[in-house]
Amino acid sequence: MPPLPDPKGVFLNVPYDEEFSGLYIAYIVGLCQLDLVPRLASEIPGGGRRLDRIFKLIQSCRYSIHDLSRVEMSVAPTAVPRFNMPLELGMTITWTNLYPSRHTWFVWESQPYRLQRSASDLNGTDPCIHNGTAEGVLRELRNAFHRDQMPSAPDMLGVYRFVNNQLNAIFRRNGTSNPYSKSVFVELCRLSSYLTDILRHTKPAV
Amino acid sequence: MRKPIRITAPLSTLEEIEKRFPVSKASEKALRALVDEFKATLSKREEVPVNSIEPEKRPKRASAA
Repeated sequence: MPPLPDPKGVFLNVPYDEEFSGLYIAYIVGLCQLDLVPRLASEIPGGGRRLDRIFKLIQSCRYSIHDLSRVEMSVAPTAVPRFNMPLELGMTITWTNLYPSRHTWFVWESQPYRLQRSASDLNGTDPCIHNGTAEGVLRELRNAFHRDQMPSAPDMLGVYRFVNNQLNAIFRRNGTSNPYSKSVFVELCRLSSYLTDILRHTKPAV
Repeated sequence: MRKPIRITAPLSTLEEIEKRFPVSKASEKALRALVDEFKATLSKREEVPVNSIEPEKRPKRASAA
């Protein structure tokens, strides 16, 4: 039996592509503002099968967010469906069915009813619909989680914009242009958490 | 629609944040500078007195029906 999950840990099951990076940053900023801890498969060290490492990470988190909005065909000529996100969601559902008190999962989509078409077995699941925007991600995070001393929606958006504007500087500092690399991810989390702490001490919470 | 999950875990301290997200000394310094920049934007926003907003840009009061 694995150890109890981190009560603040949130496994982020998202596509690692350039077009998604704005929403990815919104997830990180929003979760840090709720004082939750985003966890990403890319932060776990190598060795062993990738799938085993991902499963351990899911088990170590109390929550998970599975964004299926980009479950679609990849770009031609090698067009193939993108299965990683549904695969990891399936693993999570199995884990939750075995130990319901240890994990809660959420499915996120960009459009209403798209989930019914892409994965009809999930009928009865209420997906969080972010409309493909950072504002939508932040709004849905506020709908999914609540905590005392939560920043206001405009403050959350303000922090998101500030962090997003720093992305190129963070890339330069870490010698990469990959927002999903471990070093960039950790800096994004650290910066978002710092700014949240400042807001908490300077502005009244909602 | 499901009810939001209430997070009851205590808020993280700065020490916990730093331990959870370890960065290099150089990054730490750069992030601290960004924090100061953010603080400055916050205080600028808060310093704008209401009377300094041009009358035509002030929100209009709802008129009585």
